[in-house]
Amino acid sequence: MKLLKLNISGVRGIVGQTITPELVIDFASAFGTMLPAGKVLAGRDSRKSGLMVQEAAVSALLSTGHEVVNLGICPTPIIQFLVKQHRAAGAIAITAGHNPAEWNALNFINSQGTYLNEFQGSELLDIYHLGHFAHQKLKKSPAVVNELNAEEVYFSWLSRRLRTEEISRARFKVVVDPCNGAGAGLVNKFFQSLGCELVAVNNEPSGYFPHEPEPRPRNAGEVSSLVRATGASVGFLLNSDVSRVSLVAETGETLSEEYTLPVVAGYYLEQQPGPVITSLSTSRMIEEVAARSRVPVIRTRVGQSALVQTMLQEDGALAGEGSGGLALRRFQPAFDGFAVMGLVLEAMAVKQKKLSELVKALPRYHIVKDKIVCPPHRLHSLVAETRKLYPRAEINLLDGLHVTLKEAWVHIRASSTEPLIRIIAESPSATRAQLEVDRVVAFLNRLLG
Amino acid sequence: MKKRFPLKVSISGVRGIIGESLTPQIAARFASAFGTYLGPGQVLVGQDTRPSGTMLKKAVLSGLLATGCQPVEVGVLPIPTILFLTREKQVRGAVVITASHNPPEWNGLKFIGPEGLYLRRSQVEEFLDIFHQGEFTFVAAERIKAPLQEKKAGELHLEKILSRLKVKAIRRRGFRVVADCANGAGATLLPQLLRELGCETLLINTDLSGSFAHQSEPVPENLKELSRRVKEFRADLGLAQDADADRLALVDERGRPLGEDLTLILAVAHVLGKKRGPVAVNLSASMAIDELAARYRVPVIRTRIGEINVVEAILEQGAVIGGEGNGGVIWPEIHPCRDSLTAAGLMLEMLAENQKPLSETAAEFKKYHLLKDKMDCPAELAFRALVELRRRYQSENISTLDGIKISWPDSWVHIRPSNTEPIIRLLAESRSPVRSRRLIENFKKEIKSIIRKLA
Repeated sequence: MKLLKLNISGVRGIVGQTITPELVIDFASAFGTMLPAGKVLAGRDSRKSGLMVQEAAVSALLSTGHEVVNLGICPTPIIQFLVKQHRAAGAIAITAGHNPAEWNALNFINSQGTYLNEFQGSELLDIYHLGHFAHQKLKKSPAVVNELNAEEVYFSWLSRRLRTEEISRARFKVVVDPCNGAGAGLVNKFFQSLGCELVAVNNEPSGYFPHEPEPRPRNAGEVSSLVRATGASVGFLLNSDVSRVSLVAETGETLSEEYTLPVVAGYYLEQQPGPVITSLSTSRMIEEVAARSRVPVIRTRVGQSALVQTMLQEDGALAGEGSGGLALRRFQPAFDGFAVMGLVLEAMAVKQKKLSELVKALPRYHIVKDKIVCPPHRLHSLVAETRKLYPRAEINLLDGLHVTLKEAWVHIRASSTEPLIRIIAESPSATRAQLEVDRVVAFLNRLLG
Repeated sequence: MKKRFPLKVSISGVRGIIGESLTPQIAARFASAFGTYLGPGQVLVGQDTRPSGTMLKKAVLSGLLATGCQPVEVGVLPIPTILFLTREKQVRGAVVITASHNPPEWNGLKFIGPEGLYLRRSQVEEFLDIFHQGEFTFVAAERIKAPLQEKKAGELHLEKILSRLKVKAIRRRGFRVVADCANGAGATLLPQLLRELGCETLLINTDLSGSFAHQSEPVPENLKELSRRVKEFRADLGLAQDADADRLALVDERGRPLGEDLTLILAVAHVLGKKRGPVAVNLSASMAIDELAARYRVPVIRTRIGEINVVEAILEQGAVIGGEGNGGVIWPEIHPCRDSLTAAGLMLEMLAENQKPLSETAAEFKKYHLLKDKMDCPAELAFRALVELRRRYQSENISTLDGIKISWPDSWVHIRPSNTEPIIRLLAESRSPVRSRRLIENFKKEIKSIIRKLA
């Protein structure tokens, strides 16, 4: 089976199977057709397929008459930041984030530096499906400008928004694992500017992933032992484009990626109160954190696009989800791993607390996540079927099926990036959470035969 | 009528109009098919100066990368240089982004095989089958390579040319040369070649920003500026390249364009003087070549129109020189391809040895008058008209290798339907311009009457 996933802000697949030069050119041509005239930025994570995808995308953008600023290997939050700096018409970020090395994706970014919203996404798909692209005659070639050290201006902007002096004074020792992704190398400059001592592993942007580029405890072994061995204050795991972060406490305890949001929000909401936007799949820890700052929690669909758009509409203070991706209004409307790492350090410095202490202040929930591989054409119908399991419970159908039970919730949804059904349950009791997940998995397996 | 978007796929590659028929999608498909055909390995990627070159190059790079090839970008270089480098560097092949002498809104892709030759007919068929079947062998992500860039690739070609010329003899003469590079890739190397040969040069139309000062075919009507400059500069000769730098035309020291067919005649005369051996030219090249060959008692092989046909004949028959009447000189000593740089070197060597002005040398060979013309005719009728002509002239000395060529002792006419347009091309050569013109007009009239009867 060939995997190709379209979602509102991009297209994702396996290189050579579905991510082919022609598919990339078609999508980038559709994007170029949709955008007004002007500059478009193009950057990628460190995957070996990145250059192939980028050449195809840039060719299409030139063909639709757009000047292209080539950012080379560049974290997505920096690309998003630079869109506004350049007053660009948009950007393409070539990255499959947390997916394994054989994947790649085009992520389309609008002139506001955010992922395409629902309307833009459906317009893009309409143009793609229609197949009439605004290829220009190119009597004059639009320029391709290389801007390969674009991070300087971003880092100086970022450090002005953090309490750099207080962080510096704390003289943190930090372990970071950028997974040889787009953040590799750049983390040196970043932590240097915050006065931290850095221990970095997998810090070459080679595109060789020593483990899956998904920040979560399963992949945190190396960071955890380094934190212990070096006596570091904190460990960070990054995905391949620095849009997600997971944390390792100074004890070496690997924290679920669910903790990134409440740890950051607990501090940030005190400085910047306002509604918190999160997804239906994210841990209930955030409810208590928000209650402490007396701000509401608004739950919406999973994914950066929906979360950030809701944050902009609802004037939210931050938007984030259990994957470790957070957008902070005071910074930029983008999942920004650098801002997240900076705020974790700032929280520790300002509150003069260890990370494990910040975590201890959070309510203890147990979240269990599982997934079932499912043929793409049955994804949504099977998710709908699971409703039968909960005849009397409180149901939310905004994104798959979300069920609120006594002492637990369950969320069953089709992945927007892979042909999977994801099942997530959370409860103060670990057994209960596992039980809820097992029940759905057994039910779905029966239906799948 | 609905507007048609021309995309021409032929033995020499694909051409189309940018923004209409030649899209990045098509370029990427061709490159993917080519990468599939060649298999993983290094592939040179070059381009001419057209503004759409970068756009197409990126599409080509993506197709090559996706099929596991490692592109080596050589930038703007003459086509003959890229052909030469393909063999010299022992790479799998090359893609050149160029539309030769087509107007600037066109662009195209040319495909070069591992021997440093354009794909042969059989290879083109295999390659196009892959293209049409649309099943490309994309490699897994971890087998995608990073492209290389090679900035000074052209020097190797110049070194080879200089190693085969009597450089000292040429330098001693200190020729004054005006070169018109037609704003094409030739401008990257011809000035250096002339410098190495000790010439004092005036260079015109060397700007590579993608706008053409004149149409790039080196035919007399496009060489007015060159003629004027030759006189002003009191040059020994003027050189005119086409945009790909595979063809060369000459202007003599009095500023008169000599006609692009004379370049080949002079090159054949000069090379046969150095080394005897067979000569290979296409059906449309001047009969002066036959006279020369007779003088040196060497055979002339006549081939179908198309560079690759002449090249194949040169390789098979071991020809020492060959080419086309359009200014395309092939000296296999350097590399078996049309090469304006090689041709320029040969012309200077000839002048250095002759010790005569170019106009005098030219006069010896300017006995024949070659005229070219064309007439509209739908492809289907053109074919039937040719069959009828063949029947009518069967008792004459005719060749049907490519269209029909009828030869008399001191004249000939060659009638050939175009591969790419609904027209018939007519060429005639004789000792007088009036006679050549009359030959063409008579045959046009005859073809018209045949078509009338057929329709």
